[in-house]
Amino acid sequence: MSSDPNRFEQFDLGSHVGEDRVLGEAPSELHPPTLRSELRGYLIGLVLAAALTAASFWALDEHVIYGPGIVMALIVFGLAQVGVHLAFFLHLTTAPDNANNALALAFGVLIVSLIFFGSIWVMFHMNQHMIPARALMEMRGG
Amino acid sequence: MTLLGKLTWQAIPLHEPLPLFSGAAVVIIMVAIVAWVVIKGYLPYLWREWITSVDHKRIGVMYCILAGVMLLRGFIDAIMMRTQQVMAYNAPGFLPPSHFAQVFSAHGTIMIFFVAMPFVIGLMNVIVPLQLGVRDVAFPTLNSVSFWLTAAGALLVNLSLVVGEFDRTGWLPYPPLSELAYSPGVGVDYYCWSLQISGVGTLMTGINFVTTILKLRAPGMHYTRMPMFCWTALASNLLIVAAFPVLTATLAMLLLDRYVGFHFFTDTGGGNSMMFMNLIWAWGHPEVYILVLPAFGIYSEVVSTFSSKPLFGYRSMIYATMAICIISFMVWLHHFFTMGAGADVNAIFGIASMIIAVPTGVKIFNWLFTMYGGSVRFTTPMLWSIGFIVTFAIGGLTGVLLAVPPADFQLHNSVFLVAHFHNVIIGAVIFGVFAGYVYWFPKAFGFTLDERLGKWAFWLWLIGFWVAWGPGYVVGLEGMTRRLQHYDVAEWHPWLVVAEGGVLIILLGIIAQIAQIVVSVRTREQRRDVTGDPWDGRNLEWATASPPPPFNFAVLPDVTDQEPYWDMKARAREIGQLTRPEPEYQPIHMPRNSPTGFVTAFLAVVSGFALIWHIWWLVVLGLAGAYATFVVFAWRDHDEELIPAEEVARLDRANRAVRSAALHHRQLRREVETQREPRQ
Repeated sequence: MSSDPNRFEQFDLGSHVGEDRVLGEAPSELHPPTLRSELRGYLIGLVLAAALTAASFWALDEHVIYGPGIVMALIVFGLAQVGVHLAFFLHLTTAPDNANNALALAFGVLIVSLIFFGSIWVMFHMNQHMIPARALMEMRGG
Repeated sequence: MTLLGKLTWQAIPLHEPLPLFSGAAVVIIMVAIVAWVVIKGYLPYLWREWITSVDHKRIGVMYCILAGVMLLRGFIDAIMMRTQQVMAYNAPGFLPPSHFAQVFSAHGTIMIFFVAMPFVIGLMNVIVPLQLGVRDVAFPTLNSVSFWLTAAGALLVNLSLVVGEFDRTGWLPYPPLSELAYSPGVGVDYYCWSLQISGVGTLMTGINFVTTILKLRAPGMHYTRMPMFCWTALASNLLIVAAFPVLTATLAMLLLDRYVGFHFFTDTGGGNSMMFMNLIWAWGHPEVYILVLPAFGIYSEVVSTFSSKPLFGYRSMIYATMAICIISFMVWLHHFFTMGAGADVNAIFGIASMIIAVPTGVKIFNWLFTMYGGSVRFTTPMLWSIGFIVTFAIGGLTGVLLAVPPADFQLHNSVFLVAHFHNVIIGAVIFGVFAGYVYWFPKAFGFTLDERLGKWAFWLWLIGFWVAWGPGYVVGLEGMTRRLQHYDVAEWHPWLVVAEGGVLIILLGIIAQIAQIVVSVRTREQRRDVTGDPWDGRNLEWATASPPPPFNFAVLPDVTDQEPYWDMKARAREIGQLTRPEPEYQPIHMPRNSPTGFVTAFLAVVSGFALIWHIWWLVVLGLAGAYATFVVFAWRDHDEELIPAEEVARLDRANRAVRSAALHHRQLRREVETQREPRQ
């Protein structure tokens, strides 16, 4: 019994009105992926993730990329890495039954960016207006 | 390092009579209650049916009881503060500054985290699965763990009354005051650890309810058919999931500062104390909406039911709710306009704060239009709702005023501000949970509450609130700052005396509420809710018996309308019998009770206490025990009970019989009435 992967469903707690139903689609049969296709997905993901990691180190070499552009390259590789993880490891797709996951991700990204960029913006302005006393003295002392 | 860390006999306030006696009284009362339970032989029942229960209804009731008990504790703090300020005009009063500071800190902490939060979450627990037409929340045992962790946090806060001290920094421990250099005692640690523990519980509640609402609904219940309370619960839990990690991280940084010498918030060590204000309010403002959105949901249910009309502007209500859900993350700086971020930042956040008032205004108009043209029944829940609309509109207006940065520079940290947030938290959240409590009480317990005493409670609370906090606006405008232990301004004194009178009126209101429970329990046989639908309700929670059977619904209801139960009743009246013929009853699997929550929370209290007092071996022991409990739970073999089909049939047939009888009774009465009507 404890080996049943769908133990959650055993409780008969309610019907799973999935988002598929809500989006106006008939409840679809679940097609369990074969081991082979699943393995292939994970391998592609692994190769891509490793390649992006390697690329980051490669980009650090000043001779490859224009110096001031390195930071931007690292950001791009980082974001691509996030995308690879979402697609190949967290299995986020654009399928209708994935709408909740996509929405949750969008909500999370929105909130994190609001707090992250908002905080940077607020603190930057605060630091400009409220220079600490010591820094002020250093500025005056020269 | 000693065996008991920093804990010595000095932690017990033997030299301070006030905390000593109140602490001793609480301990004696608790021991007496436990002794009574044990002697009467109720312990096995309590353990089996409540403490280890994973039933959402039971957990919800326990949340509400926790909130009620903590409301009494927080209210005693309120009386002490008001009395102190009456006595402390050119005088020291009866509370020394260190004690006064603990009282106002404890009052805020308790009222937000251990009254408002558990009350709101408790009502969501009881009602959301019923309204969705399902049998429990998505993760029932996790739900039990959530509750007990919240109770663990509450216990730690109360423990600080007897062992050691509570924090003296206000309900949010702003550095540098909360840093080790200025608060070397255990007060801030009590605050942080109790909130870290209960915060984990709250976060798990958030995950649980988002999952439940998104994934577990009765067949046919589309998003645009969900009751408004479920929508607001969804928004509120989304906010919990997004905001509570911020609180946890912020308090963790403060704890790292205090325990291992980090410098996140120490200005002298390269940190930035303003970052704490920024982060704590990035959680704190959404928190306001975590509390008030479910209250808005309750008002929507109550106003619609007692106006006998569908909710006006259902879709606009959804849009307003979700708009608030997002915008609530864009206004946090209005809590610290005066900190010096400059005019452009302040302007943006000021405008955002005014914008968030728009969807709130939409809601107010929707409730008014729901009442308009309806046949309004002035029951207690409806009185709370109308009292809320009036009170909250005024509280919202003072909020919009405070959202104007130049005005805020004058009013910041004044009693005007304190009056404003009491106006919205009491006027919206507390009135809301009281409305929900009276409205859904018969659903949870099977009998209605006494209306007469309920109305007394409402009027005493409403008048008491205004007498207590109306003067707050006045003294605030006269320049009185918050948290004053003593003062020498003659103009403030009469107003503070009036405010004390208001608190005493509220006290009478609370006494009326306690009397209401006592009277209603005593006369419960006369006030039984036999059909399960005492208010002529509109949503699915009324479609099952009161109290509902453990499985809620023998067969999951089919939802074809935005007001499923109203629709069901209308069709039943048309065809003259229940809409569904008796189903073929099936046995139902339900999750099995589990002591996991209780044991984990007990070990969390042990770990929290040990962390506060630096008893490291006990920390390790407690955490290892909590992990072991989790492992034992994860490896369990037997995790569900089977409710046999006969039992399901027995319970459901009984309810079908009374509903049928009620339907026929109603039809007979109608026939008699139509015959009596004079023909013209």
